[in-house]
Amino acid sequence: MGGDARVENRKSKMSFADVFRRLWQGLREWSGDAAYETYVRCARKQLTAHVLSREEFYVEQLKRKYSRVSRCC
Amino acid sequence: MKRLLGIVAWVVVAGLGALALMTIAWHRGEPISATWFVLAAACSYLVAYRLYSAFIAAKLLALDNTRATPAERRDDGRDFVPTNKWVLFGHHFAAIAGPGPLVGPTLAAQFGYLPGTLWLIAGAAFAGCVQDFVILFCSIRRDGKTLGEMAKDEVSKRGGTIAQLAVLAIMVILLGVVALVIVNALKSSPWATFTLAMTIPIALLLGLYLRFLRPGRVIEASVIGVALVMFAVVAGQWVADSPAWAAKFTLGGVTLAFALIAYGFAASALPVWLLLAPRDYLSAFIKAGAIFSLAAGILLVRPHVLMPPLTRFVDGNGPVFAGKIFPFCFITIACGAISGFHSLISSGTTPKMIQREGQARFIGYGAMLLESFVGVMAMVAACAMTPGVYFAINSPATVVGATPEAAAITISGWGYPLTAETMASLAHSVGEQTLWNRAGGAPSLAVGMAHIFSRTIGGDRLLSIWYHFAIMFEALFILTVLDAGTRVGRFMVQEMLGQVWKPIGRMNWYPAIVLSSGLIVAAWGYFLYQGVVDPLGGINSLWPLFGISNQLLAAVALVVATSILLKMGKLKWIWVTLVPMAWLVVITMTASYQKIFSANPRIGFLSYANALGAQIAAGKIPAAKIGEMQRVMFNQRLDAAVTAVLAAMFLVLLIEAVVDWHAILARGKEAKLHETPYVATQWAEGD
Repeated sequence: MGGDARVENRKSKMSFADVFRRLWQGLREWSGDAAYETYVRCARKQLTAHVLSREEFYVEQLKRKYSRVSRCC
Repeated sequence: MKRLLGIVAWVVVAGLGALALMTIAWHRGEPISATWFVLAAACSYLVAYRLYSAFIAAKLLALDNTRATPAERRDDGRDFVPTNKWVLFGHHFAAIAGPGPLVGPTLAAQFGYLPGTLWLIAGAAFAGCVQDFVILFCSIRRDGKTLGEMAKDEVSKRGGTIAQLAVLAIMVILLGVVALVIVNALKSSPWATFTLAMTIPIALLLGLYLRFLRPGRVIEASVIGVALVMFAVVAGQWVADSPAWAAKFTLGGVTLAFALIAYGFAASALPVWLLLAPRDYLSAFIKAGAIFSLAAGILLVRPHVLMPPLTRFVDGNGPVFAGKIFPFCFITIACGAISGFHSLISSGTTPKMIQREGQARFIGYGAMLLESFVGVMAMVAACAMTPGVYFAINSPATVVGATPEAAAITISGWGYPLTAETMASLAHSVGEQTLWNRAGGAPSLAVGMAHIFSRTIGGDRLLSIWYHFAIMFEALFILTVLDAGTRVGRFMVQEMLGQVWKPIGRMNWYPAIVLSSGLIVAAWGYFLYQGVVDPLGGINSLWPLFGISNQLLAAVALVVATSILLKMGKLKWIWVTLVPMAWLVVITMTASYQKIFSANPRIGFLSYANALGAQIAAGKIPAAKIGEMQRVMFNQRLDAAVTAVLAAMFLVLLIEAVVDWHAILARGKEAKLHETPYVATQWAEGD
């Protein structure tokens, strides 16, 4: 019984860590912090010949983002 | 059993919402708790989302989760990025929520709390959310095309050009008027001016950090930036307390206007990573934090709303801006109820990132409900201060009187008791030299927010810090719109001029960058300057002009949406977009007519110009002021011409669309849709 309770307890702890990890990942994606990782994952999947470096991607991404309406009144 | 419980729960939510709405509508006499506003808004939104948005999703749009979205089909890791629906909701909300839902309701509070609150709730549920949701859907079905491109494809070529021109015109007016809000918040305030000035070197520092030291590490840079900005808020007090430093940062309206114009030019012409992007990151975090804090503060403090439900200014003689509830309440509160600008976001980034069509309901309709809630909170914050103080902060000196004593007598005479000492003591407690005549909404909202925050943390001791935190938050918010808008405006000007002379269209050619940045900055700078020198305070003329143009853009979006839905064969449910479109046509055309032709000089641009002309002719204006007054006369006539051109452009688009609808419905013209062909999703259900 005690062992079961420990397992249950660990499960609930794991789920708490999962929630935290998801929230953190969500915050990173929302803020643009994870944009480069997303780009690299996509470029690898599509076998892109030249994958931009983090610096190159950062500048290129900003240029695109701020050339269209990105903020409202 | 579960279904029955669900029905009971929704009946309870609807009942609670109805009770709260009736309470705020029929309450008279004693101040009313803000809890009723929160309940009325939250329950109405929940019911609208549960019933109306579900109806639109199922019957009108028939959202199809088996259809691959642009994000799935074109997944390129750059623009087309499948994004978790909660993350995308945050993205979309951060993009649509600007200073509009904060400033508009604060200004409309001059009618009392009731008209604005009801319009915020009903306008969002039946118009604003519908527009955002339907345009998002239309753009998803067209590979993320913009509103202008959809207008061109689905209405007419001319429609596309009109939509593009309308966007540029609105951008210019918007930037001018939000810059005026900052000027009125910062003038004669060394603390606020210092704090905002410091955000520029902080943004530059972050720009260099993110570019060279830790490329793309947005969160850690933002944490550093937010800490530095908070320090700047505190340090502002030291500046204000030092006579030598305070003198350096005590600036008049015209100086501040030119400083903002120079800033806008720099932000548009400098590399985007240096100033614009880092400020945007900072602003996004502070925006999210301040909005959540305001919501938490209102729930914890539950302030009493002291403004009556209706004030005497429903008669159209309001000191903040002139005009009756109809149509002026409905154009003063644009963002928060319905904002045409949102259609640019719904047909911009969001449709390229959505994973499933079904999520358009949550993101398009849901995010707008949240923005409307921000508007209701701003209304509560503005109405939680005594009405006399509200009118003292927001009324221009030409309306209430030039000295504090005279102004206090005028405002007390309206039935809102106020003494000059009350205002002096309030200004002292928030660390300002004066709070008189700060039309624009930002200072009164900051006073309201500061009272709510200080009753949560710190008490009266921290009132001045909270006030300047709120001013910094609003100004930072607005500067972000200003610099991002100037840059986008520059691209639009380059695109248009590039059709005349190709080299101007080259985005990397520096002379073209400087020329187009100069043109766009000169355009909104002109509106800003005319607002600063306007004896009626600028907001009286410019905010309605902005409201009209923003609502006209919303009407354009709803015309495009209606055209698409008709072509899809949705005639039975076409009232969903047709009724809000018709309502917008009525309010914008009435407001345009009144702003141009009203005989009341405080409402009509032309009669104001004529009245000034008559004063000059009668020798009532001192010789030294005649030149200035003639410029004001010219500006009023220019505003009348701008309003007329915008209204005429919209009417051309509307007539073209109506002729097309008639051809489809009555003459059996082929309804040619420009949707991308159906491609089945490769993702499993639940992905």
